[in-house]
Amino acid sequence: MKKIVSLLLALTMVFCLAACGEEPAPSGTNTPGAEGSEAPTSTTLDSMSVCLASEPDSLDPALNSTVDGATMVSHLFSGLAKWAQDENGNLVIAPECAEELVEGVVNEDGTITYTYTLKDGLKWSDGEPLTAQDFVFSWQRAASPELSADYCYMFEVVDGYAEMWETDADGNYVNPDAQLNVQATDDKTIVVTLANAVAYWNELLAFPTYFPVREDVVGDEAWATDADTYVCNGPYTMTAWEHDSVITLTKNENYFDADSILLPELKCYLSDDANNMLTNFENGTWQLIDDVPTNEIKALETEYPDEYIVTGQIGTYYASWNINASLLPEGSTLTGAEAEAAESEIRNALSLLLDRNYICEDIAQAGQVPASSFVAMGMTDADGSEFYQNAGDSDDYYGYYDTSAEATTSNFEQAVETLKKYYDYDEATGMFTNAPTMTYLYNTGEAHQAIGEYIQSAFAVVGITVNLENQEWNTFLNTRKEGNYTIARNGWLADYNDPISFLDMWTTISGNNDCQFGKGDHAADAMYSIDLTPYGYDIVVENGTWAETYDVLISTIKSCTDNEARYGMMHLAEDILMSTGCITPLYFYTDIYMLDSGINGFYCNPLGYKYFMYCTAA
Amino acid sequence: MLWYIFKRIVLALATIWLVITVTFFISRAVPGGPFLGEKAITEAAQAQLEAKYGLDKPVMEQYVTYLSDIVTEFDFGPSLKQRGRDVVDIISDGLKVSVKLGVTAAVGALILGVIFGSIAALRRNKLVDKIIMVVTTAFVSMPSFIMGSLLLVVFSSILGWLPANGTTAEGLILPIITLSLYPMAYITRLTRSSMLDVLGQDYIRTARAKGVSGWRIIFGHALKNSLIPVITYFGPMLAYIVTGSLVVERIFAVPGIGRSFVSSITDRDYPMIMGTTIVLATLIVVMNLVSDLLYKVVDPRINLE
Repeated sequence: MKKIVSLLLALTMVFCLAACGEEPAPSGTNTPGAEGSEAPTSTTLDSMSVCLASEPDSLDPALNSTVDGATMVSHLFSGLAKWAQDENGNLVIAPECAEELVEGVVNEDGTITYTYTLKDGLKWSDGEPLTAQDFVFSWQRAASPELSADYCYMFEVVDGYAEMWETDADGNYVNPDAQLNVQATDDKTIVVTLANAVAYWNELLAFPTYFPVREDVVGDEAWATDADTYVCNGPYTMTAWEHDSVITLTKNENYFDADSILLPELKCYLSDDANNMLTNFENGTWQLIDDVPTNEIKALETEYPDEYIVTGQIGTYYASWNINASLLPEGSTLTGAEAEAAESEIRNALSLLLDRNYICEDIAQAGQVPASSFVAMGMTDADGSEFYQNAGDSDDYYGYYDTSAEATTSNFEQAVETLKKYYDYDEATGMFTNAPTMTYLYNTGEAHQAIGEYIQSAFAVVGITVNLENQEWNTFLNTRKEGNYTIARNGWLADYNDPISFLDMWTTISGNNDCQFGKGDHAADAMYSIDLTPYGYDIVVENGTWAETYDVLISTIKSCTDNEARYGMMHLAEDILMSTGCITPLYFYTDIYMLDSGINGFYCNPLGYKYFMYCTAA
Repeated sequence: MLWYIFKRIVLALATIWLVITVTFFISRAVPGGPFLGEKAITEAAQAQLEAKYGLDKPVMEQYVTYLSDIVTEFDFGPSLKQRGRDVVDIISDGLKVSVKLGVTAAVGALILGVIFGSIAALRRNKLVDKIIMVVTTAFVSMPSFIMGSLLLVVFSSILGWLPANGTTAEGLILPIITLSLYPMAYITRLTRSSMLDVLGQDYIRTARAKGVSGWRIIFGHALKNSLIPVITYFGPMLAYIVTGSLVVERIFAVPGIGRSFVSSITDRDYPMIMGTTIVLATLIVVMNLVSDLLYKVVDPRINLE
């Protein structure tokens, strides 16, 4: 008996020791960054440890669709162009693999051809030469139905893309052999033709989906998941990827401009717990973290005035309304376009009940800017000014309604007056008595819930009941996409600096048309008007359907080569969009991160990509 | 005994098959899909991806293919989210860390729990017993996210003695402590009550009457018989702790398998959902079997049939 007990105990101890004994093995791969955060004597850093997010889904430039993945890919690859800082610290799009970012030549059919020459001595990280053919292969691959990458539509502007993706009624591809109109005329020359001029073409060249990959490397889809098979051409090369743990990037000596790279090693730790990130930042292990706990924001602002950083991000947080959900009281006799016109007015009035300053300052708390238009702050207009400042027709405020604190009362009164036209109002209690009960749908998240609760309480003030419905992320996306909701949380971040990225998502067939414009009953509502004659087009539609007006307008904008007319029409598109009341903008997003104040040379772009290659110790 | 083991293995396989079947159909019945995102891809692209991963076929056909791939090739398919990685690779990477973490925590909890439980029983109603009971009550009732956060703040943030990320050996110390406190406290209480029960038995009184020393009574007679409830608890506990604790792994950024359980579901990464479920189910079934067999070792009077 005694023997068995002692055997059992001995076994458990051996088990325990064996398990403990394995622990020290991985040491040495970790650089607890205490030494990195304390001000070193020299100005160069040996290594920097940062945490952007958890494990990226893919580090294949064509397949990546996340901001954190794009940051890493931007360190590992070089496209024809890149985001850089000029001598004044302003962000510019600069040539990278291309000798220069040339102007396009307009062809007779309206298409535009660009001819790029590659710099001399471009190499892959394994020493092989990089050629124009590599770019051509990469672009054809990234745009192809075979790959079906999330960001394949970034090639939409290139001639041939539409043909590649054209399907018949059964979903079969009409032109299975179609390709992008891009050729390598020799090892150093790339000729690409765009369907029409786009203002953001150079920016696209700096977008990860446009980065080159090598045909013999990417044959096996697993190439981008292992440092041993990862071949790139950028300032860094991947030397280790411990999944869910850390990705190590080391300076690529085969990079054509390796001498300019100041940071020898970048360790990207993979975590998505904001509290854990903050602890690692506070004890000096990590020098940059891309997320902070929401409930710590107020404290961090005062405790770390130099390290807590809020920058603009081109995106809008908003509530979307399902255009086919009825908002009229029971017994209403309005139908069709008349009913829709009334509902548009109701939605716009309800939007006025919300105090966006309260949402930004007391709920979101991260320097967000109250929004009164859909196209986000940060988008430039034709004349270089901010697009959102020119939205709407008021000279007194930006956008479609006055979001200033002083206007709260007048907004409220205006909303009540409008709603009185459609709902019964009890003057004694100040409540509407027959407004239908609405449901606000949001995905799980403290901040989303808090905003939902605020909307609920703001509408309750006038007697309108809003029920809150919380759904898990994937179910939520499905419900919203299918249009099985009345009001839903929504948000949109731009991929490039052009307002069309906020506007073309609302065409009838768009996969992001969560408001269901032009679908269901709304398809028949002939109530929108456009007059494009001032912009040089012979298009006038009076009381047309969504498909006859908005869809036409967007396709006209996409083929327009006159910048001024193009931006004018984009304002027009936003006017139509906002007139429906289906978009209730709440705030413009910001990007919050913490950066060790001992670091110099760091910058990030408006899309949220962060650049560490020129970081040194202050 | 061998016949019993054989029967149990057959039963275990049937259980795992049932789990696979139920999970397979439920996961596909839930709304949403693996290719949904904040930015929607076109219908053509979605159809292309569904065809690539065989999701365009009838669910029954997918089910049969899935089962035959597992049985004939031990192929659990590719992850739909992390393109280019196989489910087996992702799970084995995470499981290595989780097993190291879980086994250390579980075994530590077992040893300390049995020791403290025995001490508490032997010194019943004395100060030591009371201290142990108060502390274990606290540990049992404190959720791991509070305990984890507390340890993180004290030892990583304030004192700076230990790293906050579990990617290194040092970094695993705090998660191991967090993971082990609850089972340790629970085992302490189990051991104490069952040992008190055993200490009241006639054969212990006989041993005392014969003048056997206190320690010999404990280690020679009482401990083994008081371990049965502990064994019952320990098997499934080890399975749960080894397959990773989502909360603890998140708090300490441990690259274990825990988060895959939740992320695979929110991502609708069907092959990953299946893979993680099968691993958990298998471990629990195996641990239950091991527990049952251990009864026989500890107390030969137990009839397994």
